[in-house]
This record gives sequence, structure tokens and C-alpha cells, in this order.
Amino acid sequence: MTTMLKAEGLTKQFVLHHQDSVTLPVFAEVSFSVDQGEAVILHGQSGVGKSTLLRILYGNYRPTKGHVHIRHGQGFIDIVTATPRRVLEARRKSIGFVSQFLRVIPRIKTIDIVKDPMLTRGVSEDEATHRASEMLARLNLPERLWNLAPSTFSGGEQQRVNIARSFVDPSPILLLDEPTASLDAANRDVVVDLIAEARGRGSAIIGIFHDEAVRDRVATRRLDLTAYKAAA
Amino acid sequence: MRDPLTPTIADPDPILTAQNVTKHYGERIGCENVSFSLWPGEVLGIVGESGSGKSTLLRCLAGIDRPTGGEILFRHEEEMISLFNIPEPTRRKLMRTEWGIVHQNPRDGLRMDVSAGGNVGERLMDRGDRHYGKIRSSALDWLTRVEISEDRIDDRPRQFSGGMQQRLQIARVLVPEPRLVFMDEPTGGLDVSVQARLLDLLRVLVRDLGIAAVIVTHDLAVARLLTDRLMVMKGGYVVEEGLTDQVLDDPHHAYTQLLTSAVLAA
Repeated sequence: MTTMLKAEGLTKQFVLHHQDSVTLPVFAEVSFSVDQGEAVILHGQSGVGKSTLLRILYGNYRPTKGHVHIRHGQGFIDIVTATPRRVLEARRKSIGFVSQFLRVIPRIKTIDIVKDPMLTRGVSEDEATHRASEMLARLNLPERLWNLAPSTFSGGEQQRVNIARSFVDPSPILLLDEPTASLDAANRDVVVDLIAEARGRGSAIIGIFHDEAVRDRVATRRLDLTAYKAAA
Repeated sequence: MRDPLTPTIADPDPILTAQNVTKHYGERIGCENVSFSLWPGEVLGIVGESGSGKSTLLRCLAGIDRPTGGEILFRHEEEMISLFNIPEPTRRKLMRTEWGIVHQNPRDGLRMDVSAGGNVGERLMDRGDRHYGKIRSSALDWLTRVEISEDRIDDRPRQFSGGMQQRLQIARVLVPEPRLVFMDEPTGGLDVSVQARLLDLLRVLVRDLGIAAVIVTHDLAVARLLTDRLMVMKGGYVVEEGLTDQVLDDPHHAYTQLLTSAVLAA
């Protein structure tokens, strides 16, 4: 199997300088690897560090110790030690993060938001438009909204724009932080299908899902973080 | 993991490199030992409170003020030239043709008694363009890109609102297609709605033209939206730097934690 991501000895503690310099240990020495086509679901109680781990894998948080090697092009890069430009490049091409929140620049049309990652990767304008429209339709977003900026949309609509953007051309490594939270059953099913399809195309998936039913349908493997809980 | 870390992209040369840039005003520290490199297409943000040295640093980088120590290297025709080791006229010429400066106050960057079209066209003439028709049509094109309507081309900037003046200044700076742009609080003093339009405009222009930019701001939301990398300054020193979302979401230095926690959520 092709390894897509390998985490090595990840340890994280937060130091809060303005709250008596308190140190909050989260987890210690987390190591695992994920192959192409796998969907690893992070497990453990609230506070065990699932989101923190996911953010470290994306290079958004810096681990106190450890490395995250991700497959990028012909080789691997360590997202922890790579230069900012390299991390940004890896995020454009190799690793994506999907949360339940849409964070975009104001004033940009929905359809353009969905097309953007494809255009960045060199997909033609026509094909990008075509695939973006298909994806938005599949997620049941009314066509009259496609040419509007999503800032005035409902939470669920914004969330679906975000999912459309992330799954229209899924990254080889996909990090999912509760992407189905607060979606209705029909749309949740679409997302479960999209995850399965991305996996089928060889994406490696690491995710957090609170909904037990969704979790069971998505997971090929579970990683319980409880065992790595750092001693306070 | 022992995988060979094969490089996946060739690293081109940086367009700008600062080496130990230091500026003292007598005993007082403006900025101290600042080093970084900037690559084409990259946007670097410098954040910090007033007096942190961010504008001082920007003025040195942009060739306006001579640093007390250190070196600023700019890539020009495949060669890294040391900005303050070249004759003054050469430096001035570079400043005019190779980079642009967007001032916080549009009055510092515009000629207030020259028409909007003239403000933009003048920069093309600096560059050597002489064909009046072409200059005017290019100026018109740029006014449209910054969302100033055609029928205002002959008006003077003093007849414009603050937001329009700022957009005009941006057009004036970008029209000669500089490779590097310096911006000092580009959205300071503007209404929130105008700010959003301007930010969107800047982002699109920087991306489409592939220019490198250094943006000084005290507004972390502006930094998050526009910059790839961030340097946090305090008392003249860079206390933390890294990817913008990393620095803002997982700040390590005490001062950065203070900055990011002091923001009121809108």
C-alpha cells in the first residue's frame, strides 16, 4: 500500500503566557500512518485532542515535538519543518482541510469559490464550471444561489458550499473536522458518498465525526487518542 | 520515516532579502536585526502595535530610509543588488519602475492637483510609454479594475471619497506592473464595507499579477485575509514569524498571544 501520511512522535502542549504561564499538555508521542484509500477516524472524549491533532497534520498548529510526513509529488515533506511556501504549496496540491465552517473572502460568488481550487490546479475554466455546477446541484444548493456570495446564506448552505469546494477535486490527503455536523439526513448521505468516492479515487482520509452512524459508514479504521493522553 | 525528502519544486531565487536590517534613531531602536527572504507571488505581513518598528522596517525595505546596519538585497535582472550600495539615482529609478509603495494616507501617494487619469497615466509615462491614446485606454482599464467609473477619469482626487482615493492610489501603484509592492496600513481609516472591497481587490490583483508584497498592518483580520506569512514585531524586534494561520491560531510568543486574544470578535 502507498503511504500518504506518517505522523511521528507528535506531542503537543499549549503554554498560555497570560494565564500564569500555565502549560496544558494535550497528548504525547502519537505515531501512526495512513495509506491510500484508508479512512481513519479519530476517537476519544472531548478534550482528548482530536481537533488539535488534525490541525497539526495540516500545519495549522505546531507540535511541541514530532513530525508529519505527507506525500507531496514524488516524495514526502515534513509539514512541521517545511518552509511556509512549501506548506502552502502542499496545501494547494496534496492536503486539504474541511471544517463545518466556510471561511472565504467577502463578495466572491459561490460558483467561483467552488471553482477556485480546480483553477489553481490547472483545470480548464469550462471544465471547472461544469464540475462545480454538478457538485452544487448534488448537494442540493438551489441554482439561484450559485451566482451570489455566500455571506448571507444559512449555516447549512454555507457548509455545503464548503463541502462542494473541498470534494469537487478532492486532495490526495483529506482532513475532515465534523463536515456533516448540522446537515440534514439527505445532505449527510451525499457527504458520506463523497467521502467514499474520494477514497475510491485513492485519497487518504483522516476525520472527526461525532455522529456514530456516519462514523460507522465512513471509517475503515479508528484511532483512539485516549491512550496518548498526556499526564498533566 | 526515512523517505528521501526529494524536492518537489525548484526554489527560484527570492526577489527580496533582508539581512540583519537594523535602524537606530540615536539611542532609540527602530528595528533590530531583521532577516527574511521574500519570493515572487508571496505576501508577507508585518504586524505589531504602534511603535513596534513595523513602519520603520518598511521604510528601510522600500529604500526610503537608509538602515543603520545590515543589508537589503533586491533581485534585478538575475542579479542581487544591495539597495543602499548603489548610487542614489539608480535606487530612485528602481523604486519608480520595479516596485511600488501604497501609503496609508492616499494624499501621500497621489498628486492631488492632477486628474485621476493623469495620476495613473503619469506612471506609464515614467516607464517610457508615449502614445497618448494607449496611455488613456490603459488608465481607463485600471480605473475600471479598481472600480472607479469611467466618467470620473478627468476629476481630481480631492473630489473623491477616502475609499476612492485609496483605490486610485492602488491603481497608480500597480499600473506599471511592479514586481514588488509595499503597503503601509492600506485599509487604515476606511469604512468596514469599503475595506472589504479593497481587500478583495488587492487579493485578486496580487494573485493575478503574481507580484510579491509586504504589508504592514495592525489589523489581524486584514493580515489573515491578505498574507501568506506573518512577522510579529515588538519594540523593534521580530518576536515570532511563520505561516499566517499558524501564527494567528497557535501563537507561541507571549506578545503574539496577547495580540490575538485582544481582538474583539465581530
